[in-house]
Amino acid sequence: MSKRLSSAFVLHLALLTLAVTLSVLMGAVPIPLRDVLRVALARLQGAPPPADIPSYTATILFQLRLPHTALMLLTGSALGVSGAAYQGIFRNPLADPYLLGVASGAGLGAVAVLAWNPSPALGGMFLLPAAAFGGGVLTVLVVYLLARVNGHVPTTALILAGVAIGSLTAALTSFLMLRSEDTLHRALVYLFGGAPLSGWKPVLAVLPYWLAGTAVLLLSGHALNVLQFGEEQAQQLGLAVGRAKVVILAAASLTAAAAVAFAGIIGFVGLVAPHIARLLWGEDYRRLVALSLLGGAIMLLLADLLARILLAPQSLPVGIVTALFGAPFFLWVLQRTKRHGGMR
Amino acid sequence: MFRNKFLVVLLVALAALALTACGSSATPTPAPTALPPTATPLPPTPTAVPSPTPITLTDGLGHTITLAKPAQRIVSLAPSITESLFAIGAGKQVVARDDNSKYPPEAAKLPSIGTLWNGLPLEAILAQKPDLVIAAEIISPDQVKQMQDAGLTVFWQANPKDFDGLYKNLQDLAVLTGHEKEASVLITDLKQRVNTIEDILGEAKDEPLVFYELDASTDPSNPWTSGPNTFISYTIKMAKGRNAGDVLDKPWAQISVEKLVELNPDIILLADAPYGVTPEKVAQRAGWDAIKAVKDGKVYPFDPNLLSVPGPRLVDGLETLAVILHPDIFCAAKFTQRLEQNLVAPVCQP
Repeated sequence: MSKRLSSAFVLHLALLTLAVTLSVLMGAVPIPLRDVLRVALARLQGAPPPADIPSYTATILFQLRLPHTALMLLTGSALGVSGAAYQGIFRNPLADPYLLGVASGAGLGAVAVLAWNPSPALGGMFLLPAAAFGGGVLTVLVVYLLARVNGHVPTTALILAGVAIGSLTAALTSFLMLRSEDTLHRALVYLFGGAPLSGWKPVLAVLPYWLAGTAVLLLSGHALNVLQFGEEQAQQLGLAVGRAKVVILAAASLTAAAAVAFAGIIGFVGLVAPHIARLLWGEDYRRLVALSLLGGAIMLLLADLLARILLAPQSLPVGIVTALFGAPFFLWVLQRTKRHGGMR
Repeated sequence: MFRNKFLVVLLVALAALALTACGSSATPTPAPTALPPTATPLPPTPTAVPSPTPITLTDGLGHTITLAKPAQRIVSLAPSITESLFAIGAGKQVVARDDNSKYPPEAAKLPSIGTLWNGLPLEAILAQKPDLVIAAEIISPDQVKQMQDAGLTVFWQANPKDFDGLYKNLQDLAVLTGHEKEASVLITDLKQRVNTIEDILGEAKDEPLVFYELDASTDPSNPWTSGPNTFISYTIKMAKGRNAGDVLDKPWAQISVEKLVELNPDIILLADAPYGVTPEKVAQRAGWDAIKAVKDGKVYPFDPNLLSVPGPRLVDGLETLAVILHPDIFCAAKFTQRLEQNLVAPVCQP
């Protein structure tokens, strides 16, 4: 059992390394591997890049591709780990990080900023991600407060409130988009996902939330396992159910909000990464959360790579690619598991 | 504290209303409060000067850029800029364009760095090794900053609000590329054509109401049109007409066909003609046959590039409008011969 588990982790880490490498090496502009190695070597030695290599190579590698890869890694892992937590809390295979309205709230925040269109001096390029983050977090908070009954939060109430508030925010978002037609296309770019901001600043902005959220969630594996027995049972088994739910959902929502703030709304990863991990390696949340973290990162990095090279120099919105390629892959995993008698 | 759920819902609804009110009363993308760009005028480079003087120019966002010499590797990020560069003779200095820049035909042959609809294709732009990137209003200040952070020199131009704005943009491009003489000739010619039209328009007796249809594909009973404070509205007024869309409160908005029937425009211009909309199809739309323009058969196809691309062809746009709005004056050959014949023929030889 543990041999199978450690091989699972090794496989994931290997795939992740491969995905990261490919993501840095490939992109809209073809760069020979030799040039990449020479520029990287020069950078490590603190020397200027070799003169016979085009000047844009270093810029593309260090200012565009490397930070973008880092951001996609953080985003994908955040979505994966958040999805695993949501599926664990709600005990529902259709749960994903956006169930309580993080995505629709973030979308509303982003579109509101675009429609308001303040002068660039006000927060500059970080205003939109900040508003998206705030919108996402606020929406989940409202859903939580609406679902609270006498101090505890029934999961059914959460789902219903989440659906209702999600619909409300989505309607408001559509309304704002139609009213401000000149920002319509920028709004759509955000809503389809894709991280238009380049550089290291977005990575540094997301990192603290990512660290805090994933730390909490990685440590919540045991609590999530106990919750699978049902809330009453879990309470009798000694778990402080109410508090566990709040803490886990808060961490998951915060992580998801940070993920979508800069990368836009990317669907499917949060839903499917935990499922793939579950189908292949079982239901134990202590490892499911970690495997979803790695799996989500791999999925998004590969989808992002495809999005950047399929129609180069044009890049597709990542949210479309994740669904387009993720769905068949997921169905393949499903088929394989069914054939091997893995499904009950 | 949150015992009363209804209070929470009320607060949420109020917050939502406030948010939408805030969003919908927003003014559309404001034109940057431009300090008029100050150009240090260059003497036209005579053939025997050894070292050129540096060019310093402030763009529409207030950024001052400096070039050691006229730009030789330009990446153009808008069709209007590409057109203008070729019009002033700087075509050979353009190395790449955005996907939408297809005019003139020589420009279409240049490599494309992709479309801008899914964000800036920074890698592709960098790979062209430009010494100058010229952007139009479609590029946001954030995106300009992104390009600057990647080490690029960027010159941003606002879309002109009137013909003087067009001449100034052409002038700035001329300074950046070292083609002041050609630009000066072009601008003089453009001004003369505009003045000629304006003078003759003095004879026009009427001011027809014009409906300029941008897009009715999504909802034929709520077509998109140009509202007030657009270049289209301004040019229609210059051509001694009235823009039906001026009753709206946004520059680009939908108008209901009921309102259109009430306004009863004299002429309908189909700027969506390149997408297959014909006068016959318009006549078949429910309720449209009550409109005067449809009854009189004054529904004409139009080339949107003449009024939507803020380049030298705007003057062609003005001249074409003059013909369509006042055929009794402008249908003579000397006015129509340089215009697109498929636009003026339905008007002058119905």
